[in-house]
Amino acid sequence: MSQKTETNRPVKRSEVSKLRWTWQEMKNNKTAYFMLAPFMLLFIIFTVLPVVLSIFLSLTDFNMLQMPDWRGIDNYMRLFLDDEIFILAIQNTLVFAAITGPVSYILALLVAWFINELPPKIRAVVTLVFYAPSISGNAYLVWKTLFSSDSYGWANAVLIKYGIITEPILWFQDADFVMPLCIVVALWTSLGTAFLSFIAGFQTIDRSMYEAAAVDGIKNRWQELWYITLPTMRPQLMFGAVLAITNSFGFGAVVDALCGFPSVDYAAHTIMHHLSDYGGARYEIGYASAIAVILFVIMFSSNIIIKKLLSKVGE
Amino acid sequence: MKRKRFQKVLCFILSVTTLLGFGGVTAGASSDEISYKDYYDPDAPYSASTKEEMQALVGTLSYAEYLDGLYEQRLQYIEDRKTQNFETISYDVLHPVDGTYEIVSGSKDCQDSMSADPDAWVSFNKEENQDKSVYLPAEGSTTWQVTLSAEQAGFYYIKIEYYSVKFDDDISAIERKLKLDNDKTPFKEVSSIKFDRDWAYTYGDFDTVVEEVPGVADSYSVNYELRDTEGQQGYYKIVTEIKGGIKTVKTYRIMQDINGNSMSPQSEPEAKWSTYYVKDSSGYYDGSLEFYFGEGTRSLTLEAIRGSMIVKSIELVPVTGLTTSVVDNQIVINQKSLPSYADTIAQYKANNLYKAPVFDPTANKQQSIRIEAEFPDFVSDSSVAATNDNTSAINYPISHNSQLYNVIGENSYSAVGQWAAYKFQVNETGLYNLGMRFKQDALQGMYICRTIKIHGGHKEGATVRYGQPDGTPEVPFAEAYQAEFNYDKKWQSSFVSMDNTNFLFYFEKGVEYTIYFECSLGTLKEYIQRVEASLEKINSCYLRILQLTGTDPDEYLDYNFISVMPDVLKTLLLEAKELMAVKEGLEALCGTNGSHIATLETIAILLDTMGEDDGMNIAANMATLKSYLGTLGTWINSSKAASMMVDSIWVVPAVQSGDEVVSQGSYLPKAKAGFFKSIWFEILSFISSFFVNYDQMGLTTIPDENTLNIDVWLATGRDQSQIWRTMIDANSKEGFTYNTGTAVSLKLVTGGTLLPSILSRKGPDVYIGLGAADVINYAIREAVLSVGGKAAKEHLDANGNPIFDTTYYSYRDAAGNVVTTPEHRAGEDPVFVSQTFDNHVAGNFAPAAMDTVTLLGSAYGVPQTMSFAMMFYRMDVLANLGLRVPETWQELLTILPVLQTNNMSIGVSYIDALDFMIYQSGQSMWKYTDPEKYDPMYAGARINLDNETVLETFDFTCRLYTDFSFPVAYDASNRFRTGEMPIIIGGYSGIYNTLTVYATEIEGLWEFCSLPGMEREDGTFNYDSLANVSASVILYGCGEDNPEELIASWQFLQWQTGAEAQADYGNRMVALIGPSAKYETANLHAIDKLSWTAKENKAIKNQMAHLSSIVNYPGSYIINRYTQFAFLDAVNESADPIDALSSYIEAINSEIARKREEFKDAGLWVPQSPDDEPPQLGS
Repeated sequence: MSQKTETNRPVKRSEVSKLRWTWQEMKNNKTAYFMLAPFMLLFIIFTVLPVVLSIFLSLTDFNMLQMPDWRGIDNYMRLFLDDEIFILAIQNTLVFAAITGPVSYILALLVAWFINELPPKIRAVVTLVFYAPSISGNAYLVWKTLFSSDSYGWANAVLIKYGIITEPILWFQDADFVMPLCIVVALWTSLGTAFLSFIAGFQTIDRSMYEAAAVDGIKNRWQELWYITLPTMRPQLMFGAVLAITNSFGFGAVVDALCGFPSVDYAAHTIMHHLSDYGGARYEIGYASAIAVILFVIMFSSNIIIKKLLSKVGE
Repeated sequence: MKRKRFQKVLCFILSVTTLLGFGGVTAGASSDEISYKDYYDPDAPYSASTKEEMQALVGTLSYAEYLDGLYEQRLQYIEDRKTQNFETISYDVLHPVDGTYEIVSGSKDCQDSMSADPDAWVSFNKEENQDKSVYLPAEGSTTWQVTLSAEQAGFYYIKIEYYSVKFDDDISAIERKLKLDNDKTPFKEVSSIKFDRDWAYTYGDFDTVVEEVPGVADSYSVNYELRDTEGQQGYYKIVTEIKGGIKTVKTYRIMQDINGNSMSPQSEPEAKWSTYYVKDSSGYYDGSLEFYFGEGTRSLTLEAIRGSMIVKSIELVPVTGLTTSVVDNQIVINQKSLPSYADTIAQYKANNLYKAPVFDPTANKQQSIRIEAEFPDFVSDSSVAATNDNTSAINYPISHNSQLYNVIGENSYSAVGQWAAYKFQVNETGLYNLGMRFKQDALQGMYICRTIKIHGGHKEGATVRYGQPDGTPEVPFAEAYQAEFNYDKKWQSSFVSMDNTNFLFYFEKGVEYTIYFECSLGTLKEYIQRVEASLEKINSCYLRILQLTGTDPDEYLDYNFISVMPDVLKTLLLEAKELMAVKEGLEALCGTNGSHIATLETIAILLDTMGEDDGMNIAANMATLKSYLGTLGTWINSSKAASMMVDSIWVVPAVQSGDEVVSQGSYLPKAKAGFFKSIWFEILSFISSFFVNYDQMGLTTIPDENTLNIDVWLATGRDQSQIWRTMIDANSKEGFTYNTGTAVSLKLVTGGTLLPSILSRKGPDVYIGLGAADVINYAIREAVLSVGGKAAKEHLDANGNPIFDTTYYSYRDAAGNVVTTPEHRAGEDPVFVSQTFDNHVAGNFAPAAMDTVTLLGSAYGVPQTMSFAMMFYRMDVLANLGLRVPETWQELLTILPVLQTNNMSIGVSYIDALDFMIYQSGQSMWKYTDPEKYDPMYAGARINLDNETVLETFDFTCRLYTDFSFPVAYDASNRFRTGEMPIIIGGYSGIYNTLTVYATEIEGLWEFCSLPGMEREDGTFNYDSLANVSASVILYGCGEDNPEELIASWQFLQWQTGAEAQADYGNRMVALIGPSAKYETANLHAIDKLSWTAKENKAIKNQMAHLSSIVNYPGSYIINRYTQFAFLDAVNESADPIDALSSYIEAINSEIARKREEFKDAGLWVPQSPDDEPPQLGS
């Protein structure tokens, strides 16, 4: 009987251990957990587990075909002390990310802001035009035709026609052009999901806030953008930023398709390429995992920095 | 035990995560005696065409020009014929004056024995003294002579009686080059004449049922049905014939696999005598070709291109039907050898044959005869085959969940000269129409043509006989050359007609007729020919302008075309008019103006623009002109391809309407399915598409649990996999399962699947087509089993014999089961012999190919495909410039200025050249590879790029692109097509296949030969090309529990890479996909059996005698990367090639050393310092 009286009384958080409290809460919300389960299960198996496994593998010499041996931090030692190409790849990645990340982010924001001002019907069309490059799969291959190394390639043909050059330039096979071209292509394809979410963000802003701000003494559109628009759409900004980071760090396949693998003189060799080089051609999954872990750390920390920066928006 | 399970689980998890994270009796028997060296003579002469041969080709006239040149003689001949009787002149076939031939007996009496066993027939008849004939092998040429008197001078058709034979699996078409008088081809149409060869289909193995039914009236009926009873499943055609109280039932079947999909019936060339009048196989001229034979001794030469044949007679038949008429005050000669349709009908009327068949309504006989087109009795070549089409719900037969053969046609039955023939009879005598249910959606706004040929009525002694008594069919009247089939996106049903006249044919009851539908250009031929001539002229204009201005002319520079090349401007304007005229002509002909015809107008407008204003617009439009040249070529190709699908053919009785006989449209089948029927069918197809098991494609029996079963994977296309499936299951001496008793489950997988499957132990036993680099990668990580060399000796069978070193014999016992044993049973014929690797199997392949799958002295796979670079050249361009095919690099550089002053260039893929040049210089990519000097453990421990010769060669190669301006990037096939790049070097089968489909307008103008050679110190030349190999391998884990499985896998490997299967596979590919699907087999003995022409075969074998390869030692991936970096540095930054390459050598060597360190345990030597040198053998 005494037990019954006890359960009738609401349990206080301080009365039980944390674990027990959590368990209690989970039991109470079991429907929610049940509905979450399918996704969580898949998420753990296909995302969390591989990440954890690759951290584990990065400490071995796994080669895809045979049982791995334990190597400790050998892979990391080699990565930082004995792999010039990796240092080059980090350098390239940072240059690449430092340019494409912010530029594509700001570009997406600005374009979204401009487009938002258009009448709805035109806006829909213009949105599609800007968004098209990123949804149409391998559309970036037009750049390969545009900057084909053949003397009949568009850029070469035009330059030869106007007498600027006499011999065709091997655009994507020339170390001087590879990186700038790849950055241009990356920017071209970058108006993707982030851009759409910005447009959506602009749409959700309550119009009455602008009126209120006008009463409160906002002087121009820039102030309106900084003090009202951006702070209101902070979630979209965060989402866009995360996408921009992952995209700029993970930009690999496009470079492969345009410049071949590896790019000439490793001119556009990023960490992603280094990873697939070891994971693919050399069958060194252990080492590739170590690279992946480093990439993971870099992305994760830049995420934190961005988060910090974004919290300053509107202050 | 527990640990093992843990390992398995761990392996499985690892493989899943990595997958997610990264997204004949006998196989070797034929090779016993012949070694690589005997077969491929390194000293064989260079196979390229000589300068004279190429110039002869360019100077050859067309048939029309040939006849124009003989205008006077033709007029004279017409006059002569009025007064004089010309008689047929025979060559003395049995006494050729020159050439390769063999006299054999070839009387008609021997036909039966010959078709039963041709080989035996030849040897048998050499002894027998019977009617003689002359056997012409697939190589060489033979010349005959005849002397004509002055009166005999005149125009003749050439008639050849030949026997198409099947010798040594030689299934290729019979093709000859005809030369007259002093070895000259009179006109280009006869530079390749194709002799028809009938291919007969065998539909299942059914006996004809004969039954006596006295008193029953004669009748003939055809029925079709689908049966799904176990063991009988298939699509049947049943022909019932009652004649004179005897009922004959013939059953034909298209077999089905266990899922109800149709399986291709087999076709084989028929051995039989045929009569051939030399005709134009390009389809531009109907009927037989005329030749002028003047007074004196006239020689005739047949030069083999491919295929062997037996010739009984060669006769000159005087030309008939020549008349003259006057047009615009000029005497024009007309050729009319066939009666017109109107003449034919008039003749029927005169002979009282112009009447419709009368049927007794109570007799219940089939009035119209339905012939399902997917059951041809004979075809022109094996690629004309039935196929599946589900675009209409009323195609017969049709199924929403399986692929049933229900049509014939589309791409495999569209080339000029291809035909399919059907046998039929009718139930009442009279006039019939031919109806057809077809779909022609290939040529928008145009029609395509078929030539109708008929044979029949000779045996039965009918009133109207079609064709020759020996079985050669003939076109009944002139209009039948061009029966028209109109364009429509949907299925159509109509009578065979021309200009809306439905053809009537007189058929008699009880007579067997064979009707041929041959692809032809029909009425379009004149226009296509004109466009082709136009293209030739425009192309030569393009090349002339190109020679003056280069590929990128300056728009603002006045090239003064009007005074430099006025003729070019004139030609451009003329051709613009010509194309417009063709366009208008076609529109008038077809009555519509579809996009296909409009293309011509677009091009005409451009030509007009370019030709006007004294050529001021030429420079600006050169690039457009170039692309339009390609468009025009494609236009010709697609116009020539008379592609359509045929579902059924109907022999429909006409009806009497007063004195006239009219066709009866209501007897035609329905053309389109009803709306709801179509929708319902689509829905069913969609749903069932989720349940089709593609792994079982072609499987006829579900494998028994108890029989030995091996898993085979391959990562190719579905067509390829289906061909292997069919070959494995074939119930003949060629089939694998039938002869070894081992069932094979064949799975089509995607490329990256193998790697994770090995780790999780879910992999196959055998994998087909693994790249040589991966073979070594897998081998060194112990993922594939060695099949030869010392490592292979560890695999033992149940008796302790090393599997790969033991000969196994498979015998079929009385119950039909196959037993495999290492003991040879005297007096019993084994059905399959599994050879030892080292002594037998390896001999099938070039040593260079074997090297690429060999590691530390052991072989880890059996080569399957092998490709290598060869040189392709445009004969016409070289001949026009007066050049010969360069045999060496020095010579190539000497002719380069000539090409370059004409704004042409040479295309050499630098990726290939960087490698093969090193081997041509006599060096290797690796150090310590010579097995006579070093132990295999040292091979490939260092790169050989620092060798002085190699550096010099590398320098030479780079200079080709820098100093000699070879283009680095280019579209080879396009530039080769326009003639801008008359010489290109690249992988032979790839380029060959591309050019065959893509550039048909230059067909016959190009050839290929070995690479140019590099001079050795002793003055000889090194022509080496590099072999690129893919292999079949046995995976680790095979035979772990049961050594029998390993023996079976080894047998499979031998069967699959053996000469028989490889040749069969290559020929089936060509049959299925067309001549552009040439297969690059690695098996040296299979090359001769593939359908290359004699000359191509010689060229390939010539290069095969000069092959090297780069072995993939650990770390090999790093080499190309750095050599290409160095090359691009030299090209882009003008760096010194030697310096650029030298700067990378250390990086390459250290990567190789690092990689070898990983495999130290496997026995690889790793240099510890830069001075570390391995010891030489014997020192």
